[in-house]
Amino acid sequence: MKILVPIKRVVDYNVKVRVKSDQTGVETANVKMSMNPFDEIAVEEAIRLQEAGTAEEIVIVSIGIKQCQETIRTALAMGADRGILVETEEEVQPLAVAKILKHLVEKESPQLVITGKQAIDDDNNQTGQLLAALLGWSQGTFASKLEFTDDRLKLTREVDGGLETVSLSLPSVVTTDLRLNEPRFVKLPNIMKAKKKQLDIIPMDSLGLDTTSRVKILKVEDPPQREAGIKVDSVEELIDKLKNEAKVI
Amino acid sequence: MGVLVVAEHDNEVLQESTLNAVTAGLEINAEVSVLVAGQNCGGVVDSVGKVAGVSKVLSCEHELYEHQLAESLAGLIASIASDYTHILAAATSQGKNVLPRVAGLLDVAPISDITDIQSADTFVRPIYAGNAIATVQSEDTIKIVTIRPTTFDAAAADGGSAEIVSIDPHDDKQDLSQFMGQELTQSDRPELTSARIVVSGGRGMGSSENFQIIEALADKLNAAVGASRAAVDAGYVPNDYQVGQTGKVVAPDLYVAVGISGAIQHLAGMKDSKVIVAINKDEEAPIFQVADYGMVADLFDVVPKLTESL
Amino acid sequence: MTYSAPLQDMEFVLNELCDLEGVCSLPGLQETTPDLASAVLEEAAKIASEVLAPLNRQGDTQGAKHLDGKVVTPDGWKEAYREFIEGGWNSISFSEKYGGQSLPYLVATAVQEMWHASNMSFALCPMLTQTAMEALLMHGSDALKQTYLPKMVSGEWTGTMNLTESQAGSDLSAVRTQAEPNGDHYRLYGQKIFITYGDHDLTENIIHMVLARTPNAPEGVRGISLFLVPKLLVNTDGSVGEPNDVRCVSIEHKLGIHGSPTCVLAYGDKEGAVGYLVGEENQGLVYMFVMMNLARHAVGVEGLAIAERAYQQAASFAKERVQGRPIGTKSGDRVSIIHHADVRRMLMTMRCKVEAMRSLAYLWAGAFDKSTHHPDEDERLRQQQIVELLTPIVKGWCTETGNQLASLGVQVHGGMGFIEETGAAQHFRDARITTIYEGTTGIQAGDLVGRKLLRDGGAAAVMMLETMRKIEPSMADIKEFDKIYKQSLDDLEQATQWLLKAAMEDPQLPAAASYYYLELWGVVVGGWLMAKSALAAQKKKSAGEGDKAFYDNKIKTASYYAAHVLSGTTGLRHTIIEGSDDVMALQVEDF
Repeated sequence: MKILVPIKRVVDYNVKVRVKSDQTGVETANVKMSMNPFDEIAVEEAIRLQEAGTAEEIVIVSIGIKQCQETIRTALAMGADRGILVETEEEVQPLAVAKILKHLVEKESPQLVITGKQAIDDDNNQTGQLLAALLGWSQGTFASKLEFTDDRLKLTREVDGGLETVSLSLPSVVTTDLRLNEPRFVKLPNIMKAKKKQLDIIPMDSLGLDTTSRVKILKVEDPPQREAGIKVDSVEELIDKLKNEAKVI
Repeated sequence: MGVLVVAEHDNEVLQESTLNAVTAGLEINAEVSVLVAGQNCGGVVDSVGKVAGVSKVLSCEHELYEHQLAESLAGLIASIASDYTHILAAATSQGKNVLPRVAGLLDVAPISDITDIQSADTFVRPIYAGNAIATVQSEDTIKIVTIRPTTFDAAAADGGSAEIVSIDPHDDKQDLSQFMGQELTQSDRPELTSARIVVSGGRGMGSSENFQIIEALADKLNAAVGASRAAVDAGYVPNDYQVGQTGKVVAPDLYVAVGISGAIQHLAGMKDSKVIVAINKDEEAPIFQVADYGMVADLFDVVPKLTESL
Repeated sequence: MTYSAPLQDMEFVLNELCDLEGVCSLPGLQETTPDLASAVLEEAAKIASEVLAPLNRQGDTQGAKHLDGKVVTPDGWKEAYREFIEGGWNSISFSEKYGGQSLPYLVATAVQEMWHASNMSFALCPMLTQTAMEALLMHGSDALKQTYLPKMVSGEWTGTMNLTESQAGSDLSAVRTQAEPNGDHYRLYGQKIFITYGDHDLTENIIHMVLARTPNAPEGVRGISLFLVPKLLVNTDGSVGEPNDVRCVSIEHKLGIHGSPTCVLAYGDKEGAVGYLVGEENQGLVYMFVMMNLARHAVGVEGLAIAERAYQQAASFAKERVQGRPIGTKSGDRVSIIHHADVRRMLMTMRCKVEAMRSLAYLWAGAFDKSTHHPDEDERLRQQQIVELLTPIVKGWCTETGNQLASLGVQVHGGMGFIEETGAAQHFRDARITTIYEGTTGIQAGDLVGRKLLRDGGAAAVMMLETMRKIEPSMADIKEFDKIYKQSLDDLEQATQWLLKAAMEDPQLPAAASYYYLELWGVVVGGWLMAKSALAAQKKKSAGEGDKAFYDNKIKTASYYAAHVLSGTTGLRHTIIEGSDDVMALQVEDF
């Protein structure tokens, strides 16, 4: 089968983000960018499926500025076959992303779309579910294990309090959780090979889709700082604070 | 036109987080309806009916909804969505799974994991793992929102008397998804790096035997047990208990430091914890500089008392 | 303590100071582009920070062990080595013909910096393999190359260099290991010491390159030959066979690099170790000299790498460690020590010298690539001249400075740095070997004065001075930079002229001054490159390109370098010219 893996270029998880002084967002200029770690797990899973003979072709998709090509190349160096960049300078929100992906799914006809459960920048956790809804496909979110049996996908999901197993019809949209796998390091010769793999660039405008934002970002601020601690005098007071003020027990 | 809250339950017990979602709903509009979709879930319907502030309970019993699978549940919610201005659920793994699918069916941009409601269309939500806070405004006519349960109080489970209405299942015979089973985590002590609560002991514990009072407190809180390097070096506990620069880095919701002075190497391993409690005899111990709640006291006095009182 | 590769600075140095684009356009290196180099660095950075750096402390505390006659590497070493070679990192700049990646040495140098910064004890293993491969590639017969090179390139086997014996350290003419002809091979007898990764459990086989004497060889350096001695004999079909007669007798207990086994190897305890002549008899030391430039540069990169690691550690500690209040305030919040000016001084010294060392070490690598790949012969020779002149400076200055900065790193930590827990002390201990092995600083300084300055009558030095005089740092708008810079060039020129003259009168004088002369060169070349980087940063800023804050900082570190480092050249000149007599003033018995 063919697998489509949508990936997002995000601020590297090691970077301590800085909120812009004009409160319009987070500083992303001249900040180290990397593939969203959950998407990296998705790429890894697709490659493992290919190595196991379950998948034939892996197509990487990213939506964003032209530097997203670098992120796609990383996925190609990991082992994916080709890439598609839907190029735009605009911020594209999950619903619009899902619409673009739906368009590409119709063109590419994959049996499986696998992507990260959320991007570590906006933490939305929506794209996979939105896409599954738009396509009318089954959805296997927060996956920690995939097994293909008799035209169906047996998928283990990480849910609050434990694990849940579902059987999904194919084609399906799967979103990855942390424990699904540990992505490989890229091998040096594969970086060279990735340079020669096919990477198509499609201007987003040329798709004729409604990609306008429906959620307006009014402002972005720093989180409140840890307040200077207080001293408590008794066990009762401590328990009361933990229960009713901090709400952690 | 009111707010619809999607209840989360296992057909027997209502998830507490639904009560937080009801409170969020009531902040938007006094008219809050709750959808209970399931199979043989009459008990849940009844308990939702009693929740303070809930005006109406929509009950939909059908085998399709027995396991709350997103594929069928989303269709049902979408089919009744036009009666509401907002559709809310707790941002649990269930809520996060289902609500965006509903949004996709309705061509709505969902809003995830909000921590505050500023107006009917304006919400606050953390981004970048809480390192920035965004205020966002929805431009859709129906707002589909998941709420972070810990930031909204739970509605009182009693005191309400909602109207209970039975609704038809949404005609949805697709075989997209089947439930096969679940495996819930046993109640063994959680793993240090992923535990929601960590209780750690330091050199102040004095001996390996004394660490039992840490363990007793940890068990009461369903917490993992950690230790400072000093305690590990003194042989009170094994190496893999060590929290700190050269040990494990943890960031639980609650970190309880007992008899730990707070050497910088230790702080490096736990300073990102959400709430830090420090119990130490020494008033000058640096741990108090990072603790939200500090208690200057003899730990052998206070910790057993704490365990008992919880 | 974590390590994060300074990719932004690395790429700046590669592109703005070392002409990466030009290097990538050389015949034989055109597979590489600056974009590709950037991707390579990014992936290497992941291996460095996620695989190698987390093992650094383990390597230090556990150390390599000699158990039941076998050398056991620290926990995690094997898995890391597997990851390393499977990723193709073992042979990054080696020829594609033997399975390497043919990347420019310039790019490989940046990658090397990451390996050494993240885990120097580990990185020594591939580094020595690389040196052994170079020796084999340059001088070995086709048969030897075919049998051994591909497996060394892939990392399936590692390599070692066996030069030192207990009586033959810096003076290799005293080598006594014997090699007796025996059919198509030789039998070796003798003991070698200080053999880095001479034995280990990372790979099945180890290929030793051994210096030894044949029976009728001339005395001294002209009678030393190079032999290839495998740990396990290799069958004609390429498979591994019987053990050879070489064994690890013991490993050293050292001040630093504990994870790297430093072995005593005994050859020929029984029937004699089977060895194969590499190249011709009695040419061993000549061959060593050819490789020496690369090996010395690699050790210079270690000095840079450890300093970078120590800087990262110190900066992060200084930001977190709360002690005292700002000067002039008696109340209010205590602040982290980075707010104190003296701590800033230490961190700025570390930072600007690291930047200067990086520029120098990478510049050397770019010149090396051009000296080996440039189509124009004159240009190749000119670049070779730069390589030769700069080799002792890269090795000597970067390792001496590396030690100084690792020590400053401890100082920033205060008492916390003296105890082992923070990790600052490990960098200090690990750095210590770098001024010693692969030729001590004294040897480097002697090489600089004797071979690089006096031998050509100062031609290379004058050429370099002229090159350095060609830039106008004032364009970068740094106060006083021009004055200090010009003065430093004058100091270097005067010291150079004095040495050329003094050597005619008394050969002891240049020798006594050579250490300071090397330091002077390091500081001035560093100043030249800091000026160039400030200019490049200014140009980028004016063009409105890239990260303005980064470029501003490049200009600030250059300014600090001028005022705090480059300004010291006059003292060095004075020491060289006026102080050399005093070095030998006391009689031996007066000590």
